[in-house]
Amino acid sequence: MESKTFWECNKAYILTALGLGVVGFVFVGFMMIMDWGYLIQYTMHMMIGDTSGVLTAPASELEQMVNAAFGPAYNSVAPEIIRASNERQEYIWYVFFAEIMIFVFLYVKNGRLTPTITRPDDMVQVLTPFQRTVIWLNIGMILMLVLTGFNITWSLRSDGGDLPRLLREFHELTGLAWIGVWLVFTVIAAKDLKGWRKNTLFRHILPGSFKPSKRVIWFFYAAMGAGLCFSGAMIITLHPSSLTHADVIQFRRVLLYLHFGASVLIMFFILDFVYASAISVKGYLKGLWTGSYPREYLEQVAPDVLEDLKKAGRQ
Amino acid sequence: MTRMKFYCDDYRCIDCNGCVVACKEAHEIPVGVNRRRVITINEGIEGKQKSLSVACMHCSDAPCQKVCPTDCFYIRTDGIVLHDKDKCIGCGYCLYACPFGAPQFGHEGIFGVKGVMDKCTFCAGGPDDTLSETEFEHYGQNRIAEGKIPMCASMCSTKALIAGDASEVDKIYEYRTAKRGGNTSLKPYGWEAYNNGK
Ligand code: HEM
Ligand code: SF4
Ligand code: SF4
Repeated sequence: MESKTFWECNKAYILTALGLGVVGFVFVGFMMIMDWGYLIQYTMHMMIGDTSGVLTAPASELEQMVNAAFGPAYNSVAPEIIRASNERQEYIWYVFFAEIMIFVFLYVKNGRLTPTITRPDDMVQVLTPFQRTVIWLNIGMILMLVLTGFNITWSLRSDGGDLPRLLREFHELTGLAWIGVWLVFTVIAAKDLKGWRKNTLFRHILPGSFKPSKRVIWFFYAAMGAGLCFSGAMIITLHPSSLTHADVIQFRRVLLYLHFGASVLIMFFILDFVYASAISVKGYLKGLWTGSYPREYLEQVAPDVLEDLKKAGRQ
Repeated sequence: MTRMKFYCDDYRCIDCNGCVVACKEAHEIPVGVNRRRVITINEGIEGKQKSLSVACMHCSDAPCQKVCPTDCFYIRTDGIVLHDKDKCIGCGYCLYACPFGAPQFGHEGIFGVKGVMDKCTFCAGGPDDTLSETEFEHYGQNRIAEGKIPMCASMCSTKALIAGDASEVDKIYEYRTAKRGGNTSLKPYGWEAYNNGK
């Protein structure tokens, strides 16, 4: 009985850790060609402010020249970038297909919860105009980022040219604008911080509480979003210049790899979120626009939201 | 078969940047983009200061070509690596892959973000009509079509920078190294240095 309760309480965390653990193990152990020893030491060097990637003093004049002109340790990260770009182009379809299959399996197994609404006029105001603005900005920008980002990945299919280039440029601009939206959304969706609601900064936190599966999604949205914003912004800031090239190229390579990885992971959790809120239960998209939901819908789908609104004195 | 290569003799280069200026001038390269640059180590230390002029090395198995998501690079039969600016989306991946930091990006994208890639063409233009105005606008002069060597090498006052068929360049390298009493079996810089760390 004990263990069943433990399993039930922590199922989402255990399955996520297991899934990512297995994928990570296979990927890092058997598929990547990155020099991990170098990367770990390099990360430590970066923490003390040295991005050059020169970990040991050059043994010869030639090595010193190579470090100064081209940047050091080419073979540690660059071949992985080349390989990863190509393989993403070729194989990421299969990854997305497998991910979608997971949700199809869950749908077939668990079906869909369709709430019965008999009193459509009995509405509850759930989302404030501020919350709705942030949510819509977030939806719009993520759609734009996913489209424009994977436009780069698959530009062999588009054959490049002006439109894909413009989309890529918009990716950079939308990405910079998204940093603020990502941060505000991360805060307002942080349902676990409800105790902080009295604080003026945090009082926009969404009503309701997290179920473990949604908490996992929030965590990955926050963490991968941070990775994407940091790597994207740094790639843009460290604009390639012939004069600073050797000092920053290794760092930029690592950042691009981080961006690749984070974009794939955030995609999985975005799909997970869409499944959890619009496919496994019948969604109520109108609510995101008007801010109000039928009371019966909330009673059946999200009783914690009603409860929370009551506690906050909004009901 | 002809394979065009550059070689910069670090014993001769005096960091005058004549090659950089000649290249910028010849191809009307915008500010902020340097198809060629000069790197100096141990500046001011007598007997140890060395300079090297670097641009695209026109690699035989070019990593930029391997990584480009739009596949816009092509390698001519004489080994010159060129790319098509009409296809390039300015993603910058060629720069991550290039061992020599050759690809360059100006700020001509919308709101000043980076635009399409620009790099040394070995003064061989690009895929547009040879010696046309469009070719000049996109890639600069096509001196190879005119039977000339690249501008940088032709301007180099100490003849540190030489350009031409690899076997000829190799002969000059070996001759100069032997004359200095150096070991001609050691390669000057490039892949060898990466692979041996020496
Ligand atoms: C939901 C968020 C995001 C997603 C899904 C995403 C996705 C992607 C993808 C798929 C690529 C292409 C990688 C490939 O070659 O396959 C990419 C590249 C890139 N992204 Fe993002 N991205 C996101 C957010 C951001 C943000 C916030 C920024 C900037 C602040 C940014 C800046 C960049 C840059 C600079 C590149 C490299 C291409 C270039 O230099 O233009 N991205 N992104
Ligand atoms: S751009 Fe770099 S990788 Fe490509 S041919 Fe030139 S030196 Fe080699
Ligand atoms: S910047 Fe242009 S040339 Fe370089 S990899 Fe991207 S599309 Fe290819």
